[in-house]
Amino acid sequence: MISQAGSFAGSDPIANGQFLNGSSPRVRLISVRVEDRAGVLQRITNCLARRGLHLASCAVGQGSEAGVLNLWLRVDPGTQPADQIVKQLNKLIDVVSVDDLTRSEPIEWAMALVEFRPNGRGDQIEETLRRVRAEVVHRDPERLIAALAGPPDLVQAMLDELSQLPIVDFVCSRPMALGSGYPVSASEPARHAQAGSE
Amino acid sequence: MSSFLAAIDEPGRELPSTAPAPGATGAEFLLAALVREGVDTIFGLPGGANLPIYQYLPTFPLRHVLVRHEQGAAHMADGYARASGRVGVCMATSGPGALNLITGLATAHFDSVPVVAITGQVATATIGTDAFQESDVIGSCLSVTKHSYQVRDARDLSAVVAEAFHVARTGRPGAVLIDIPKDVQQQPVSVARGSTGRYRVHRAPAPPSSELVARAAAHLAAAERPVILAGRGVAVAGAQGALQQLAEACDAAVGNTLLGTGVFPTRHPLALGLVGFMGTGYCNQAVSDCDCLVMVGMRADDRVTCRLDAFAPRAEHIIHINIDPAELGKTVDADCQIVGDAKQTLEAIWEQMPPRPRPAWRATVDGWRQRHPLRHPHNGLLQPQEVLAACYERLGPDDITVADVGLNQMWAAAAWTGTEPGIFLNSGGQGTMGFALPAAIGAQAANRTRRVMSVCGEGGFMMTLQELATAVEADLPVKVVILNNRQLGMVRQFQDVFYAGVRSQIDHAVTPDFQMLAQAFGCHGEVVRSAAELGPAIDAAMAYPGPALLDCWIDPEANIYPIVPFGKGLADFVECPES
Repeated sequence: MISQAGSFAGSDPIANGQFLNGSSPRVRLISVRVEDRAGVLQRITNCLARRGLHLASCAVGQGSEAGVLNLWLRVDPGTQPADQIVKQLNKLIDVVSVDDLTRSEPIEWAMALVEFRPNGRGDQIEETLRRVRAEVVHRDPERLIAALAGPPDLVQAMLDELSQLPIVDFVCSRPMALGSGYPVSASEPARHAQAGSE
Repeated sequence: MSSFLAAIDEPGRELPSTAPAPGATGAEFLLAALVREGVDTIFGLPGGANLPIYQYLPTFPLRHVLVRHEQGAAHMADGYARASGRVGVCMATSGPGALNLITGLATAHFDSVPVVAITGQVATATIGTDAFQESDVIGSCLSVTKHSYQVRDARDLSAVVAEAFHVARTGRPGAVLIDIPKDVQQQPVSVARGSTGRYRVHRAPAPPSSELVARAAAHLAAAERPVILAGRGVAVAGAQGALQQLAEACDAAVGNTLLGTGVFPTRHPLALGLVGFMGTGYCNQAVSDCDCLVMVGMRADDRVTCRLDAFAPRAEHIIHINIDPAELGKTVDADCQIVGDAKQTLEAIWEQMPPRPRPAWRATVDGWRQRHPLRHPHNGLLQPQEVLAACYERLGPDDITVADVGLNQMWAAAAWTGTEPGIFLNSGGQGTMGFALPAAIGAQAANRTRRVMSVCGEGGFMMTLQELATAVEADLPVKVVILNNRQLGMVRQFQDVFYAGVRSQIDHAVTPDFQMLAQAFGCHGEVVRSAAELGPAIDAAMAYPGPALLDCWIDPEANIYPIVPFGKGLADFVECPES
């Protein structure tokens, strides 16, 4: 599940607050730097799926090095020890580095695009967008598209605010992240000294 | 060639100069790269998508063993690697050929055996079009290989082969796949690229943490009832000397995993034999009673631990040493987890541990050995232990035994009396029936002067028996000993003991006459129905210059003992009833 998109028919992922937050306490935020080679995402997802490590979300982006992709994964280790996530990913030959950012107070950033059908309420919509500091990126008589960006909590709050408006569709990225300090291993402190020594 | 390759090549190894001339094809660059890696034997089967490789194969100093089924090629490469410590190579065409390798690759990979598989692929332009004999072999093999490559440009072949061999044999060894589209095999190459441009070259871990080594040495020094369990990692690292030295310095009793058979001399006074599900009673008793447990060069899978929360319950400290960090803390939550090479780590612990005899512990272990000996029924029917003892008596200290999977494997491991690693081979992790014959052929190809005996049941034998033709054709004189109980014996025992005694689909009511079958393949064949016939039959099979087969009709109700019932701890092992 790389992004979630859909209309508001049926259940409302914004209203139930599960969209960007609300993960189980065992879920880890994993940053992976990986060689940008054909089929590399399949290797990552296969490695996790094969070991019962559930990939809850994945964001992919280009990092500072050419030929290296940065992935940000939220992974629920299920019944496995949590440090298996880093250890198993680290065995992949294409993986350059793996860090568990969960405890490093990472700076996270997510983005969303929201589409409205104004139907004469254009002014009200734009007023609300200004208030939540969303940017209008497209405007025509039929529709209006706004972009939101910020920490996941803020983007969630903005989406909550906008859910009162006549939204047609939206997409929201999973967050990217940069660790703000030393990456902390998934394992307990007593143990992480010898983990991931490769 | 990039610099890391210089470091991994064995010192003093003469590498033939086989650089193809500019304009040579990808196939020639591939074959030259294999020669440069020291490959002397390839197990394979040609087909539509790898014919360019076969076109040039005869011009290279490579022996090709033509198999009858690709699964056999993978098991032969595996057996070659296990018996020689070198990388085994197998080759198949695209589609079904490539997919037939999978069981063999999984078998090798699960047991950390370095194997490189080379598959043909449909031409680059037709990949993704569901072309004839196209298969996504990379995707299909993802979870049974350490890494895989699809080479889209022949200029990369030399560097990919070098890297693939490096990946296969360094760190924790494993299976690596190289998939080569047919047009890439035929592509003329003017200048080969020297490197795959990888950011992080696969490498072995750093030396073990000195802090953890000191802690492990202190735990062992303080222990009164130390036990060491050793796996195949000890053999891979060449650590058997270090293991023996450490065990003798603290009187640690030493058990082994199935794959660790031979890493500690079976007749050593500290030897406990096999641990786990079908381990010896005295080994399982010692693990259950020890106050300090060292696990080295092994995983701790469910067949070793049995009920996890009853594993080593009295151990105040568990020290787990493995070169793969992911194996540490995966099942057994050892309090001292050391990432490292088995030899380096055991030697480092030994250096810091003051030697001290533990006569009381030795006496306790000896008492268990007396109380829980391996035993089998004596009911007038031919017992597998009698067959195996007679065979082992006739093997030299360097001769190789390859066991298949099932009762035959456990009997063969329990009865084995060797002292060296790498000469008792079996499929431990995957438990692949049909492994023994092709793996024995591979082991024989790696060691022409040693005897190689394959021990199997009639069920496993019938899964890959077509490779008898390969053995005859390639002049690889393996000796096949079938422990024939006319049924799927281990399944029958499980049904009897764990599944309410409902015997379901275990009888081989129709089994071919293996003596005639052997003769049909051009092998020597003989049936053995009593202990009295054993000696002369084995002698005749061993004396026969080519492949030979003994069809030994054993007691159909013979079981493996001891056995730990499902859901129980190691200490709850059940022994063979006294006869």
